[in-house]
Amino acid sequence: MRMLPGVLVVLVGLCVAVETSAQNSSPGGWLTPQWDKPRITDANRKPAPRRSIAGMWGPADGPGAGTQAQGVPAKPNNGKPENQLPYTPFGLELYRSHKALEGVDAVLPSEDNDPRNRCEPLGMPRENHYNVRLTQIFQDDYKVAILYHYDNRWRIIWTDGRELPKLVDGGVEIGGEVRERRFFGYSVGRWVDDNTLEVQTVGMMPDDRVWLDSTGRPISEQVRVTETFRRLDYDRLEWSETIDDPKVYTRPWETMKLPMRLHDPRTDVMEYYCSPSEQENYNKLFGNGASGKGAP
Amino acid sequence: MTRGFLITSIAAVTLLIPLRVAAHHGSAAFDTGKRVVLKGTVTQWVYSNPHCLLSLEVTGADGQVVRWIAEGQAPNVIFPVGYRKDSFKGGDQVTLTVEPVKNGRPLGRILQVVLADGTKLGAASSAPLNTSVPPSQ
Repeated sequence: MRMLPGVLVVLVGLCVAVETSAQNSSPGGWLTPQWDKPRITDANRKPAPRRSIAGMWGPADGPGAGTQAQGVPAKPNNGKPENQLPYTPFGLELYRSHKALEGVDAVLPSEDNDPRNRCEPLGMPRENHYNVRLTQIFQDDYKVAILYHYDNRWRIIWTDGRELPKLVDGGVEIGGEVRERRFFGYSVGRWVDDNTLEVQTVGMMPDDRVWLDSTGRPISEQVRVTETFRRLDYDRLEWSETIDDPKVYTRPWETMKLPMRLHDPRTDVMEYYCSPSEQENYNKLFGNGASGKGAP
Repeated sequence: MTRGFLITSIAAVTLLIPLRVAAHHGSAAFDTGKRVVLKGTVTQWVYSNPHCLLSLEVTGADGQVVRWIAEGQAPNVIFPVGYRKDSFKGGDQVTLTVEPVKNGRPLGRILQVVLADGTKLGAASSAPLNTSVPPSQ
Protein backbone atom coordinates (compact mmCIF):
# COMPACT_ATOMS: atom_id res chain seq x y z
CA MET A 1 0.00 0.00 0.00
CA ARG A 2 2.87 2.31 0.86
CA MET A 3 4.37 1.69 -2.59
CA LEU A 4 1.20 2.61 -4.44
CA PRO A 5 1.93 6.33 -4.95
CA GLY A 6 5.34 5.51 -6.36
CA VAL A 7 3.88 2.93 -8.72
CA LEU A 8 1.29 5.44 -9.86
CA VAL A 9 3.97 8.01 -10.55
CA VAL A 10 5.87 5.53 -12.69
CA LEU A 11 2.70 4.53 -14.56
CA VAL A 12 1.73 8.11 -15.17
CA GLY A 13 5.25 8.85 -16.33
CA LEU A 14 5.10 5.97 -18.79
CA CYS A 15 1.75 7.14 -20.10
CA VAL A 16 3.07 10.64 -20.63
CA ALA A 17 6.12 9.25 -22.41
CA VAL A 18 3.97 7.15 -24.74
CA GLU A 19 1.61 10.04 -25.35
CA THR A 20 4.49 12.39 -26.10
CA SER A 21 6.14 10.02 -28.52
CA ALA A 22 2.82 9.55 -30.33
CA GLN A 23 2.38 13.23 -30.97
CA ASN A 24 3.84 14.01 -34.33
CA SER A 25 3.67 17.54 -35.55
CA SER A 26 1.41 18.63 -38.39
CA PRO A 27 3.03 21.71 -39.89
CA GLY A 28 0.40 21.79 -42.59
CA GLY A 29 -2.36 22.37 -40.08
CA TRP A 30 -5.85 21.32 -41.12
CA LEU A 31 -5.00 19.64 -44.36
CA THR A 32 -7.66 19.32 -47.03
CA PRO A 33 -7.76 16.17 -49.17
CA GLN A 34 -5.38 16.07 -52.08
CA TRP A 35 -7.02 14.16 -54.90
CA ASP A 36 -4.67 14.94 -57.79
CA LYS A 37 -1.91 12.62 -56.75
CA PRO A 38 0.88 11.59 -59.13
CA ARG A 39 0.56 8.16 -60.68
CA ILE A 40 2.45 5.33 -59.09
CA THR A 41 5.24 4.20 -61.38
CA ASP A 42 8.36 2.09 -61.05
CA ALA A 43 10.19 5.28 -60.13
CA ASN A 44 8.08 6.19 -57.11
CA ARG A 45 6.64 2.83 -56.07
CA LYS A 46 7.36 1.86 -52.50
CA PRO A 47 6.92 -1.67 -51.14
CA ALA A 48 3.80 -2.56 -49.20
CA PRO A 49 4.29 -3.04 -45.47
CA ARG A 50 3.69 -6.59 -44.32
CA ARG A 51 0.17 -7.38 -43.23
CA SER A 52 -0.97 -3.81 -42.93
CA ILE A 53 -3.82 -1.97 -44.58
CA ALA A 54 -3.78 0.83 -42.02
CA GLY A 55 -3.96 4.35 -43.34
CA MET A 56 -6.15 7.09 -44.66
CA TRP A 57 -7.49 5.87 -47.99
CA GLY A 58 -9.55 7.46 -50.73
CA PRO A 59 -10.79 6.25 -54.12
CA ALA A 60 -7.80 6.33 -56.46
CA ASP A 61 -9.83 7.81 -59.28
CA GLY A 62 -11.02 10.75 -57.20
CA PRO A 63 -13.81 11.44 -54.75
CA GLY A 64 -16.51 10.72 -57.30
CA ALA A 65 -15.25 7.21 -57.94
CA GLY A 66 -16.63 5.94 -54.66
CA THR A 67 -20.01 7.60 -55.00
CA GLN A 68 -21.64 4.70 -56.79
CA ALA A 69 -24.77 6.67 -57.60
CA GLN A 70 -25.66 4.23 -60.34
CA GLY A 71 -25.28 1.23 -58.12
CA VAL A 72 -22.42 -1.05 -57.28
CA PRO A 73 -19.56 -0.28 -59.68
CA ALA A 74 -19.09 -3.78 -61.05
CA LYS A 75 -22.77 -3.86 -62.08
CA PRO A 76 -24.16 -0.35 -62.53
CA ASN A 77 -27.93 -0.29 -62.71
CA ASN A 78 -28.16 1.14 -66.22
CA GLY A 79 -30.40 -1.37 -67.94
CA LYS A 80 -27.64 -2.94 -70.00
CA PRO A 81 -27.95 -6.71 -70.43
CA GLU A 82 -24.49 -7.38 -69.04
CA ASN A 83 -25.48 -5.70 -65.78
CA GLN A 84 -28.66 -7.67 -65.14
CA LEU A 85 -28.49 -9.41 -61.81
CA PRO A 86 -29.29 -13.08 -61.14
CA TYR A 87 -32.39 -12.44 -59.06
CA THR A 88 -34.39 -15.19 -57.47
CA PRO A 89 -38.16 -14.67 -57.90
CA PHE A 90 -38.23 -13.29 -54.36
CA GLY A 91 -35.26 -11.06 -55.09
CA LEU A 92 -36.89 -9.61 -58.19
CA GLU A 93 -40.10 -8.95 -56.31
CA LEU A 94 -38.10 -7.26 -53.60
CA TYR A 95 -36.26 -5.10 -56.11
CA ARG A 96 -39.54 -4.00 -57.67
CA SER A 97 -40.88 -3.01 -54.28
CA HIS A 98 -37.94 -0.65 -53.75
CA LYS A 99 -38.49 2.86 -55.03
CA ALA A 100 -35.04 4.28 -55.52
CA LEU A 101 -33.87 7.74 -56.47
CA GLU A 102 -31.06 6.45 -58.61
CA GLY A 103 -30.64 3.95 -61.43
CA VAL A 104 -32.70 2.97 -64.42
CA ASP A 105 -35.92 2.66 -62.42
CA ALA A 106 -35.50 5.89 -60.43
CA VAL A 107 -38.58 7.65 -59.08
CA LEU A 108 -39.24 11.22 -58.00
CA PRO A 109 -38.19 12.24 -54.49
CA SER A 110 -41.73 12.12 -53.13
CA GLU A 111 -42.15 8.52 -54.24
CA ASP A 112 -39.02 6.91 -52.88
CA ASN A 113 -38.80 4.48 -50.00
CA ASP A 114 -35.05 4.37 -49.55
CA PRO A 115 -34.25 3.80 -45.87
CA ARG A 116 -31.31 6.15 -46.31
CA ASN A 117 -33.66 9.07 -46.70
CA ARG A 118 -35.00 8.41 -43.23
CA CYS A 119 -31.39 8.48 -42.02
CA GLU A 120 -31.46 4.76 -41.26
CA PRO A 121 -27.98 3.23 -40.98
CA LEU A 122 -26.82 1.92 -44.33
CA GLY A 123 -25.22 -1.13 -42.77
CA MET A 124 -23.12 -3.71 -44.54
CA PRO A 125 -22.53 -3.93 -47.39
CA ARG A 126 -24.22 -0.69 -48.47
CA GLU A 127 -21.80 1.46 -46.52
CA ASN A 128 -19.23 0.17 -49.02
CA HIS A 129 -21.42 1.46 -51.83
CA TYR A 130 -22.47 4.90 -50.73
CA ASN A 131 -20.19 7.88 -51.15
CA VAL A 132 -17.00 6.10 -50.19
CA ARG A 133 -14.50 8.90 -49.87
CA LEU A 134 -11.80 9.30 -47.28
CA THR A 135 -11.79 6.08 -45.31
CA GLN A 136 -9.59 5.65 -42.27
CA ILE A 137 -8.36 2.15 -41.47
CA PHE A 138 -6.75 1.40 -38.13
CA GLN A 139 -5.50 -1.98 -37.02
CA ASP A 140 -3.84 -3.69 -34.09
CA ASP A 141 -2.91 -7.27 -33.34
CA TYR A 142 -6.53 -8.30 -32.93
CA LYS A 143 -8.64 -6.30 -35.29
CA VAL A 144 -9.01 -3.88 -38.14
CA ALA A 145 -11.30 -0.88 -37.74
CA ILE A 146 -12.78 0.88 -40.74
CA LEU A 147 -14.01 4.43 -40.24
CA TYR A 148 -16.33 5.44 -43.04
CA HIS A 149 -16.87 9.02 -44.04
CA TYR A 150 -20.63 8.91 -44.57
CA ASP A 151 -22.52 9.34 -41.32
CA ASN A 152 -19.32 8.79 -39.32
CA ARG A 153 -19.90 5.04 -39.21
CA TRP A 154 -17.32 2.47 -38.23
CA ARG A 155 -16.99 -1.30 -38.12
CA ILE A 156 -14.63 -3.86 -36.66
CA ILE A 157 -13.07 -6.80 -38.48
CA TRP A 158 -11.60 -9.31 -36.04
CA THR A 159 -8.27 -10.77 -37.12
CA ASP A 160 -7.47 -12.70 -33.95
CA GLY A 161 -8.52 -16.07 -35.30
CA ARG A 162 -12.03 -16.16 -33.92
CA GLU A 163 -14.56 -18.06 -35.98
CA LEU A 164 -17.16 -16.48 -38.17
CA PRO A 165 -20.55 -16.88 -36.47
CA LYS A 166 -22.96 -19.32 -38.03
CA LEU A 167 -26.07 -17.88 -39.68
CA VAL A 168 -29.22 -19.18 -38.01
CA ASP A 169 -32.86 -18.17 -37.92
CA GLY A 170 -33.16 -14.86 -36.15
CA GLY A 171 -29.48 -13.98 -36.13
CA VAL A 172 -26.17 -15.76 -35.69
CA GLU A 173 -24.98 -18.49 -33.39
CA ILE A 174 -21.99 -17.77 -31.19
CA GLY A 175 -20.97 -20.35 -28.59
CA GLY A 176 -24.35 -22.08 -28.72
CA GLU A 177 -26.20 -18.83 -28.20
CA VAL A 178 -28.29 -17.03 -30.79
CA ARG A 179 -27.12 -13.45 -31.05
CA GLU A 180 -28.77 -10.42 -32.60
CA ARG A 181 -28.53 -9.23 -36.14
CA ARG A 182 -26.51 -6.06 -36.63
CA PHE A 183 -26.45 -3.39 -39.29
CA PHE A 184 -22.76 -4.07 -39.84
CA GLY A 185 -22.94 -7.76 -39.01
CA TYR A 186 -20.08 -9.79 -37.66
CA SER A 187 -16.78 -9.65 -39.52
CA VAL A 188 -13.67 -11.79 -39.28
CA GLY A 189 -10.56 -11.49 -41.42
CA ARG A 190 -7.53 -13.59 -42.18
CA TRP A 191 -4.33 -12.81 -44.00
CA VAL A 192 -4.14 -15.04 -47.04
CA ASP A 193 -0.68 -13.69 -47.78
CA ASP A 194 1.46 -10.83 -46.51
CA ASN A 195 -0.51 -8.26 -48.48
CA THR A 196 -4.03 -9.65 -48.72
CA LEU A 197 -6.68 -9.60 -46.03
CA GLU A 198 -9.81 -11.61 -46.76
CA VAL A 199 -12.86 -10.67 -44.73
CA GLN A 200 -16.14 -12.53 -44.24
CA THR A 201 -19.20 -10.80 -42.85
CA VAL A 202 -22.55 -12.30 -41.86
CA GLY A 203 -25.43 -11.52 -39.55
CA MET A 204 -26.76 -8.33 -41.11
CA MET A 205 -30.23 -6.81 -40.94
CA PRO A 206 -33.17 -8.25 -42.90
CA ASP A 207 -34.27 -7.07 -46.32
CA ASP A 208 -36.86 -4.61 -45.04
CA ARG A 209 -34.18 -2.60 -43.22
CA VAL A 210 -31.28 -2.34 -45.65
CA TRP A 211 -30.53 -2.10 -49.36
CA LEU A 212 -27.47 -3.13 -51.30
CA ASP A 213 -27.08 0.13 -53.19
CA SER A 214 -28.70 3.44 -54.02
CA THR A 215 -30.59 2.03 -56.99
CA GLY A 216 -32.69 -0.22 -54.78
CA ARG A 217 -30.91 -3.49 -55.37
CA PRO A 218 -31.90 -5.69 -52.44
CA ILE A 219 -29.99 -7.68 -49.89
CA SER A 220 -31.25 -10.03 -47.19
CA GLU A 221 -30.24 -11.27 -43.78
CA GLN A 222 -28.86 -14.40 -45.48
CA VAL A 223 -26.14 -12.50 -47.28
CA ARG A 224 -22.53 -13.45 -46.81
CA VAL A 225 -20.13 -10.72 -47.86
CA THR A 226 -16.56 -11.49 -48.83
CA GLU A 227 -14.18 -8.57 -49.06
CA THR A 228 -10.58 -8.67 -50.17
CA PHE A 229 -8.20 -5.90 -49.22
CA ARG A 230 -5.09 -6.29 -51.34
CA ARG A 231 -2.24 -3.92 -50.65
CA LEU A 232 -0.62 -3.55 -54.05
CA ASP A 233 2.19 -1.38 -52.76
CA TYR A 234 2.69 1.29 -50.12
CA ASP A 235 0.30 3.77 -51.75
CA ARG A 236 -2.36 1.54 -53.30
CA LEU A 237 -5.03 -0.76 -51.98
CA GLU A 238 -7.54 -2.77 -53.98
CA TRP A 239 -10.86 -3.25 -52.19
CA SER A 240 -12.98 -6.02 -53.70
CA GLU A 241 -16.33 -7.38 -52.66
CA THR A 242 -18.47 -10.38 -53.56
CA ILE A 243 -21.89 -11.15 -52.17
CA ASP A 244 -23.58 -14.51 -51.76
CA ASP A 245 -27.25 -14.16 -50.88
CA PRO A 246 -29.26 -17.25 -51.87
CA LYS A 247 -32.52 -15.66 -50.80
CA VAL A 248 -32.15 -12.82 -53.28
CA TYR A 249 -29.65 -13.97 -55.92
CA THR A 250 -29.22 -17.34 -57.57
CA ARG A 251 -25.43 -17.20 -57.41
CA PRO A 252 -22.64 -15.15 -55.85
CA TRP A 253 -21.52 -12.12 -57.81
CA GLU A 254 -18.84 -9.46 -57.59
CA THR A 255 -20.06 -6.00 -56.64
CA MET A 256 -16.89 -3.96 -56.76
CA LYS A 257 -13.18 -3.79 -57.22
CA LEU A 258 -12.38 -0.32 -55.95
CA PRO A 259 -8.82 0.99 -56.24
CA MET A 260 -7.87 3.09 -53.24
CA ARG A 261 -5.01 5.50 -52.79
CA LEU A 262 -3.19 6.39 -49.61
CA HIS A 263 -3.68 9.94 -48.35
CA ASP A 264 -1.76 12.07 -45.89
CA PRO A 265 -2.63 10.75 -42.42
CA ARG A 266 -3.09 14.33 -41.23
CA THR A 267 -5.93 15.02 -43.68
CA ASP A 268 -8.96 16.61 -42.10
CA VAL A 269 -12.23 14.87 -42.95
CA MET A 270 -15.34 17.03 -43.16
CA GLU A 271 -18.55 15.74 -41.65
CA TYR A 272 -21.11 14.10 -43.88
CA TYR A 273 -24.04 13.27 -41.66
CA CYS A 274 -27.56 12.29 -42.39
CA SER A 275 -29.35 14.73 -40.11
CA PRO A 276 -33.13 14.28 -39.91
CA SER A 277 -33.72 17.97 -39.23
CA GLU A 278 -31.50 19.05 -42.11
CA GLN A 279 -33.18 16.47 -44.32
CA GLU A 280 -36.57 17.87 -43.36
CA ASN A 281 -35.45 21.40 -44.12
CA TYR A 282 -34.10 20.29 -47.46
CA ASN A 283 -37.39 18.61 -48.37
CA LYS A 284 -39.32 21.68 -47.31
CA LEU A 285 -37.20 24.08 -49.36
CA PHE A 286 -36.41 21.91 -52.34
CA GLY A 287 -37.19 18.19 -52.39
CA ASN A 288 -40.96 18.44 -52.17
CA GLY A 289 -41.14 21.14 -54.83
CA ALA A 290 -38.86 19.18 -57.14
CA SER A 291 -41.38 16.35 -56.84
CA GLY A 292 -44.32 18.61 -57.56
CA LYS A 293 -45.59 18.46 -54.00
CA GLY A 294 -46.92 21.49 -52.20
CA ALA A 295 -47.69 24.93 -53.55
CA PRO A 296 -45.60 25.99 -56.52
CA MET B 1 -42.72 29.30 -65.48
CA THR B 2 -39.56 31.10 -66.29
CA ARG B 3 -40.86 33.08 -69.26
CA GLY B 4 -40.25 36.75 -68.90
CA PHE B 5 -37.39 36.47 -66.55
CA LEU B 6 -33.94 37.68 -67.23
CA ILE B 7 -32.47 34.58 -68.67
CA THR B 8 -29.37 34.44 -70.76
CA SER B 9 -28.25 31.66 -72.98
CA ILE B 10 -24.81 30.34 -72.50
CA ALA B 11 -22.84 30.90 -75.65
CA ALA B 12 -19.80 29.16 -74.41
CA VAL B 13 -19.39 27.23 -71.28
CA THR B 14 -16.37 26.68 -69.16
CA LEU B 15 -15.09 23.18 -69.41
CA LEU B 16 -15.66 21.63 -66.04
CA ILE B 17 -15.09 18.13 -64.86
CA PRO B 18 -18.45 16.87 -63.68
CA LEU B 19 -18.64 15.61 -60.17
CA ARG B 20 -20.29 12.22 -60.29
CA VAL B 21 -21.98 12.37 -56.98
CA ALA B 22 -25.08 10.83 -55.57
CA ALA B 23 -27.81 13.39 -55.43
CA HIS B 24 -29.90 12.80 -52.36
CA HIS B 25 -32.95 12.79 -54.59
CA GLY B 26 -31.51 11.27 -57.72
CA SER B 27 -31.71 12.73 -61.16
CA ALA B 28 -35.28 11.86 -62.11
CA ALA B 29 -36.61 15.25 -61.07
CA PHE B 30 -34.28 17.25 -63.30
CA ASP B 31 -34.61 18.25 -66.91
CA THR B 32 -31.34 16.70 -67.90
CA GLY B 33 -29.26 18.79 -70.23
CA LYS B 34 -31.42 21.91 -69.92
CA ARG B 35 -29.66 25.05 -68.75
CA VAL B 36 -31.06 28.23 -67.26
CA VAL B 37 -28.91 31.24 -66.46
CA LEU B 38 -30.23 33.56 -63.79
CA LYS B 39 -29.01 36.94 -62.59
CA GLY B 40 -30.25 37.84 -59.19
CA THR B 41 -29.72 38.67 -55.55
CA VAL B 42 -28.79 36.11 -52.94
CA THR B 43 -31.28 35.81 -50.10
CA GLN B 44 -29.95 32.72 -48.36
CA TRP B 45 -27.10 30.22 -48.48
CA VAL B 46 -27.64 27.04 -46.52
CA TYR B 47 -24.44 25.06 -46.05
CA SER B 48 -25.73 21.76 -44.76
CA ASN B 49 -26.41 18.12 -45.50
CA PRO B 50 -27.68 16.47 -47.54
CA HIS B 51 -27.51 19.43 -49.91
CA CYS B 52 -26.44 23.03 -49.83
CA LEU B 53 -29.13 25.43 -51.00
CA LEU B 54 -28.69 28.82 -52.65
CA SER B 55 -31.76 31.05 -52.72
CA LEU B 56 -31.91 33.87 -55.22
CA GLU B 57 -34.38 36.61 -56.05
CA VAL B 58 -34.63 37.06 -59.77
CA THR B 59 -36.46 39.99 -61.30
CA GLY B 60 -38.08 39.34 -64.62
CA ALA B 61 -38.59 41.71 -67.52
CA ASP B 62 -42.12 42.28 -66.25
CA GLY B 63 -40.78 43.38 -62.89
CA GLN B 64 -42.04 40.31 -61.11
CA VAL B 65 -39.65 38.83 -58.56
CA VAL B 66 -39.34 35.08 -58.35
CA ARG B 67 -37.42 33.21 -55.72
CA TRP B 68 -35.25 30.50 -57.18
CA ILE B 69 -33.63 27.82 -55.07
CA ALA B 70 -30.68 25.89 -56.39
CA GLU B 71 -29.09 22.96 -54.70
CA GLY B 72 -25.51 21.88 -54.50
CA GLN B 73 -24.12 18.71 -53.09
CA ALA B 74 -23.14 18.31 -49.46
CA PRO B 75 -20.39 20.56 -48.06
CA ASN B 76 -17.76 17.84 -48.07
CA VAL B 77 -18.35 17.33 -51.80
CA ILE B 78 -18.36 20.93 -52.95
CA PHE B 79 -15.65 22.22 -50.63
CA PRO B 80 -12.90 21.01 -53.00
CA VAL B 81 -14.38 23.03 -55.87
CA GLY B 82 -14.40 26.20 -53.85
CA TYR B 83 -17.74 26.48 -52.08
CA ARG B 84 -17.43 27.64 -48.49
CA LYS B 85 -19.79 28.44 -45.67
CA ASP B 86 -19.34 32.13 -46.40
CA SER B 87 -19.23 31.96 -50.19
CA PHE B 88 -22.50 33.93 -50.37
CA LYS B 89 -24.28 36.39 -48.18
CA GLY B 90 -27.62 38.09 -48.47
CA GLY B 91 -27.57 40.88 -51.03
CA ASP B 92 -24.79 39.46 -53.18
CA GLN B 93 -25.34 39.85 -56.90
CA VAL B 94 -24.58 36.60 -58.71
CA THR B 95 -25.12 34.90 -62.03
CA LEU B 96 -26.30 31.38 -61.46
CA THR B 97 -26.50 28.59 -64.01
CA VAL B 98 -28.81 25.75 -63.07
CA GLU B 99 -30.21 22.56 -64.46
CA PRO B 100 -33.90 23.11 -63.68
CA VAL B 101 -36.43 20.58 -62.45
CA LYS B 102 -38.84 19.13 -64.97
CA ASN B 103 -42.02 20.41 -63.41
CA GLY B 104 -41.32 24.05 -64.17
CA ARG B 105 -40.94 25.29 -60.62
CA PRO B 106 -38.08 27.72 -59.94
CA LEU B 107 -35.78 25.01 -58.67
CA GLY B 108 -32.60 23.55 -60.06
CA ARG B 109 -29.16 22.34 -59.30
CA ILE B 110 -26.09 24.49 -59.36
CA LEU B 111 -23.88 24.16 -62.40
CA GLN B 112 -21.99 27.40 -61.99
CA VAL B 113 -22.08 30.59 -59.99
CA VAL B 114 -20.32 33.76 -61.09
CA LEU B 115 -19.81 36.23 -58.27
CA ALA B 116 -20.00 39.99 -58.69
CA ASP B 117 -16.20 40.22 -58.89
CA GLY B 118 -16.11 37.66 -61.70
CA THR B 119 -15.01 34.73 -59.57
CA LYS B 120 -16.45 31.50 -60.93
CA LEU B 121 -17.51 28.60 -58.77
CA GLY B 122 -18.03 25.43 -60.72
CA ALA B 123 -20.38 22.51 -60.72
CA ALA B 124 -21.83 21.83 -57.31
CA SER B 125 -23.94 18.99 -58.58
CA SER B 126 -23.68 15.84 -60.62
CA ALA B 127 -24.85 17.49 -63.82
CA PRO B 128 -22.00 18.49 -66.14
CA LEU B 129 -21.93 22.03 -67.44
CA ASN B 130 -20.10 21.10 -70.61
CA THR B 131 -23.08 19.42 -72.16
CA SER B 132 -23.65 19.36 -75.89
CA VAL B 133 -27.35 20.02 -75.36
CA PRO B 134 -28.07 23.62 -76.29
CA PRO B 135 -29.64 25.90 -73.71
CA SER B 136 -33.38 25.94 -74.17
CA GLN B 137 -34.19 29.31 -72.62
